[in-house]
Order: sequence, then C-alpha cells, then structure tokens
Amino acid sequence: MTSETYGMGSQEQTGAGRVILMVSSSLAALLVIAGLIYATGTGARHKAAVAAAGCEPSLFISGMPCTTEQMMASRYEAIVTPATQQLNTEMAAYAVNERRDLAAAEADLSAEVVTEQAFDNSLAATTFTPQNRAAAAALIQNATSSGTPVPLAAAILTPQVTAIAEALIQADQALVTLLAEQARSASLTQLRSFNHRVQVASAAVQTEMKLIAKALDSPPPAG
Amino acid sequence: MARNTVGRWTDERPAAYDYQEVPYGGQDTYEPGLTPSAAIETRQPEKASAPKRADKSRVDEWMEVEFKFGGSRIKRKAPALILLGLPALVPLFFMLPALVTLNSNTFAVSVDDTLGTGAEICLFLCLLVTPMVTLTGQRWFVPLRRWYGIMMAACAFGDAIAAGITDNFAGGVFGRLAGHVFELMGFIMVMLVIPLLLTGNPWAQRKLGKYWKPLHRLIYVIWGFLAAHLILLEGFGFERGSNGSGFAGDGDPIFHQRLYQYSACSVFLLVLRLPPVKRWIAARHKEGRMWLVWVTVLPLFALFVFGFIFIVNEEIFKGMDSFTEHPSGE
Repeated sequence: MTSETYGMGSQEQTGAGRVILMVSSSLAALLVIAGLIYATGTGARHKAAVAAAGCEPSLFISGMPCTTEQMMASRYEAIVTPATQQLNTEMAAYAVNERRDLAAAEADLSAEVVTEQAFDNSLAATTFTPQNRAAAAALIQNATSSGTPVPLAAAILTPQVTAIAEALIQADQALVTLLAEQARSASLTQLRSFNHRVQVASAAVQTEMKLIAKALDSPPPAG
Repeated sequence: MARNTVGRWTDERPAAYDYQEVPYGGQDTYEPGLTPSAAIETRQPEKASAPKRADKSRVDEWMEVEFKFGGSRIKRKAPALILLGLPALVPLFFMLPALVTLNSNTFAVSVDDTLGTGAEICLFLCLLVTPMVTLTGQRWFVPLRRWYGIMMAACAFGDAIAAGITDNFAGGVFGRLAGHVFELMGFIMVMLVIPLLLTGNPWAQRKLGKYWKPLHRLIYVIWGFLAAHLILLEGFGFERGSNGSGFAGDGDPIFHQRLYQYSACSVFLLVLRLPPVKRWIAARHKEGRMWLVWVTVLPLFALFVFGFIFIVNEEIFKGMDSFTEHPSGE
C-alpha cells in the first residue's frame, strides 16, 4: 500500500482515486437501490415460494421445513379414521343390545363416550393454538437437526380449519354429554328414548366433519 | 494552508506531508489482522525522520481523558472499546451451552454456521477499522482491530476443532477438516490465522522487525480464501432453485446468499484501502471538503451495512438455535 508518490500531492494523483470512488459508489448506489426494490417484493416471493412448495402459509416457520396440506390432511385422517372405526363397532354393538340387555347397552354407550372423548382430545391437540404451534415447531426443529423426516405430529391445522375443528369438538361434546346421560338410563325404554336426540347430535357432528373434510380436501370418513 | 477541521492539520505541518498514506496524517492504515494497539509503530528507519503522527483528533483527545471509576482512573475510551468489543464474544457465547452439555448434535449441525459466520463477522470488523480511521481520522478504536482478530481466530479454531470431531465426512480428522475443497479452504484459513495470532503482540513485532508487516498482510489472503470458501460452500445462489441456501419460502434468497453478503461488505473495505482513493480523501480533507468524501462514500457504506445486516441476522438466528440446542441445519 505504500507508494513513492505519497507526499507529492498533485491534483492528477487524486484523479484516479476520484474515478475509482465515483464508479464504485455509483455501482454501490445502484446495488443498494436494487436491493431495496428487491426487498419490497419479499412478501410476494414468500407467498409464491410457500405456495410452490405446497406449504400452508399460516403454518410456515421461517427457515424450517413447512407443513403441507397433505401433511395436515394425513394427520386429521390418522385421528378420525381409527376413531370412526371404533365408534362404528360400538354403535353396532349398541344396536344389538338396546332392546335386550340394558347393562351391555350402557357399557357400549360408555365405550362410545370414551372414544368420542379421546377423539376430541386428539383433535384439540392439532388446533392452531400457541401451545400446539410451539410443540409442532419443536418437533420440526428436532427433525431438521437430526436429519429425519418431519413427523406427522408436527402438522397442525390452519386457523381456518381450526375454527371448524373447534365447532366439531363442541358438537361432539354435546353428543358425549347426551351419551353419558343415556348410559345412566334405568330401563331399556328410557335408554331408547334418547336415540332420537342422539341421532340429531350425531348429525351435527357429521356436518362439521364433512366441513373439515372439505376444507382439507380429504374424503369424509365412512359411518 | 491546511485547515484545522478536526484538530489534526495544523499550520505548522510541512506541506511536503500533505499527502500521507493516511489522509489525516495519522500513523498507518495498513492492515495487520491482529495488530496490537501499542505495536502500531512500524515505520521503517528511513522514514524515521518523517513527522510523527499528526495531532490527535478532538475525539481522540476526548477519549484519552481519564475519569474516576471505583478506586481507579480509566480513560474514556476504555468503556467504549469494551462495549464495541463485547459483540465479538457473542458467537462463542452462543455455543457455550452445547459445550457445557457436550451436545455433539448441536456441534455437528450448527457450529459451522454459528462460529463460521462469527469468524466472518469478526474478520469484517477487523478489516473495518482501517477504513474508519481513513474516514474519521480517529484512532482511539484501533485497538479493536487486534481484539476482533483474536476473536476471529477463536471462532475459526472452534469451528475447525468441532468440524474435525463431529462432521460426518469420511477420512478421519483430516478428512473432516480438508476432505472437500471448501473445507480445505477453511482449513488453510485457519492455518494462516495461527501465525497472525502468535505474532499479534508487541514482542513479536519487535522481534520480526520489517518482516512483521508483510506477515500480517496474510489477513488479505484469508479475506480472499473466504470468498473461495463461500463460493465452494454455496455456489453463486442459482444452484438451489429460487431460495439460495435456505428452505423454501422465506422470500429473500439473494439476501441470504453468503457470497453476496461477503461481496457487499468487501467492496467498501477494499475501495477504502486503495492508495489513490486514500490520496483523494486526503486531498478533500486538506481542502476542508470532507462532506464530499462522506457523500461519495455513503453508497459504499450503505452497501456494506446492507450485507453486514444479513450476516448478523444469520448469526443471531443460527446462534439462538445453537444456544437453545435445537440447531437448524438450514
């Protein structure tokens, strides 16, 4: 960096410096302006990249693998399918016992209550709450750091689907209350007298389940 | 003749020295990576007859004033230097929990990002000292050059040691350190830092004499190797689709590209080191037109800040992941 010319101080000697500085500064100014313009498009690029990767924008965590619609649907199905199968079995057993065996029918109804309650709990664990989001983020982060695929448990529902899921849970809780009351019946007649109200409550649950299935673009469970 | 704009140029100053390598007539703005503040005097014997460092700037003088602190008196620049130097400890601080718990996963996944990026930040801060001396004429912060150099070395060694132990590459320790070309670049940088660290003290400077200065120009070689390291590590940013080195969706692929960050920072650091540019700045100062210098340099500095912000952003996010021992492999 030393130079023999230092100390002479002529105008010509500063000319090169001026040119270098002007050119580099102009380029830098252009780059900064370009950078600022580019930065204004960050939001749009973010949305485009999220959409291109099939990610749910509301579930996106910067710098981490995203939750896709497919993952969300798979998790919901993983909860609803076994619960539906279990309920179908218990309802079939109740249909057999409701006219001949009060104790057995009440046991079937109690089993239904347990199944419905477990379903609601599982569904509540997928809703878009701060706790669930933190747990999902931790699972994603662990999977990322260990180089393993993101587990299905990390997929939570979007705020929109969560609203339907909460309605579903509410409807299901009404059904659970009714079933529990029915299970305390003193006679088969009293037991069967609940059936219509139970059917109405079940229909409300089915309606919400269809709405979720539609939102998740997954087939509604049979039964 | 010369103006007394910032208290450095005096009428007694000989005209023959108006064009110094350092615009303000200060000592050297030459760039040793690990120069101790007390060991700045590196003039050759034939230059001994040249005037000593020009009068200190007003800020330098203000910084030299002592004040009472507890039972002792310390200079004003001491707390300022500590405050400016503390951030250089942050990369090592981020890795502390993983070190205490011997969390090999955190080391394997994120030490490269946390300490590697930390070393890059310290290198740029070390290299920033000279341009800031050139622009401000102040020298009170020159000791930071040595400190940032030491912290760069500490981060680089930590990165290399952790990579040598925890990386998954084949070939034993050496394979993990130099088995890929980008790693070899990093390994060479670490090797080059060693002599700078060992000789970055007044004793070594006295012993090495005229060889000390060329030796410490190795910092420029490290600077260059860093570019090669980053190019080989991530390419130019077009290889991984639309998002640079990261996962999909953050929308800032170019800003997160390490090579571009490096380039944005390096332009300012490089241009302000060029002798013709320094002469031009000195001339403008002599004319009392420093405003022209500031206006001209502003875009370069803005570009530096632009790049540096994203490097620091990277360090904070990766560092926090390391600190919480949930390392991100992004």
